[in-house]
Amino acid sequence: MGPGRVEHVFDALGDPGRRALVASVAERGTATATQLAAALPVTRQAVAKQLAQLADAGLLGATKVGRETRYRVTPEPLAEAAAWLAEVGGQWDERLATLGRSLTRARAER
Amino acid sequence: MELRIERDVLFPAVNRDEVWEALTDPERLEEWFATEAELDPVPGGEGVFRWGDGEERRATVREAEPEERLVLDWEDGGEVVLELEEVEGGTRLHVTETSPDFAAALELHALAWAPVG
Repeated sequence: MGPGRVEHVFDALGDPGRRALVASVAERGTATATQLAAALPVTRQAVAKQLAQLADAGLLGATKVGRETRYRVTPEPLAEAAAWLAEVGGQWDERLATLGRSLTRARAER
Repeated sequence: MELRIERDVLFPAVNRDEVWEALTDPERLEEWFATEAELDPVPGGEGVFRWGDGEERRATVREAEPEERLVLDWEDGGEVVLELEEVEGGTRLHVTETSPDFAAALELHALAWAPVG
């Protein structure tokens, strides 16, 4: 797996705003929209909407606490995607090297 | 949405028909792709591949243009596209494998890249 591949997984977080939110939640462990908005130049509503999108995508877990929703980072989706890239990419590297040898051998036998 | 792996290989001094044979003849596939291979390389044809660790995967041929392009749909999701191109001094093989749906991470990918799509 080349160094660019894992990067591609994190491209899933293509929007800098959403990326910053995930990073903020990860740093705090858990966080609410109110807490996050206090540290950002955006409204609580805008933050809440992006948090809900990230939760829908499975990157954040949400727990209702009273009137607020508390978020935490769920690393599983990214880990699963990164594992697929590593495994299948590695398989192709091996297969194609073997295919090259097989082609050379077949040609020699002709 | 899906993840994608791409590989590009040049086989020097090998003609396109030789690579096509290695991609589609079950006996040749057993030399590099799987421990046991069955494949009917025509559109709608079935493929069954087994590996030494007991893994078995089934596929359906979606496209088969001899010496040019072979597309397999995996039964468990995802696809493999194999494209051949004659280049000076050999044959180039381009492989693209797309993953089954990773609902979570990739919906976000779709979200992020929606304007392009």
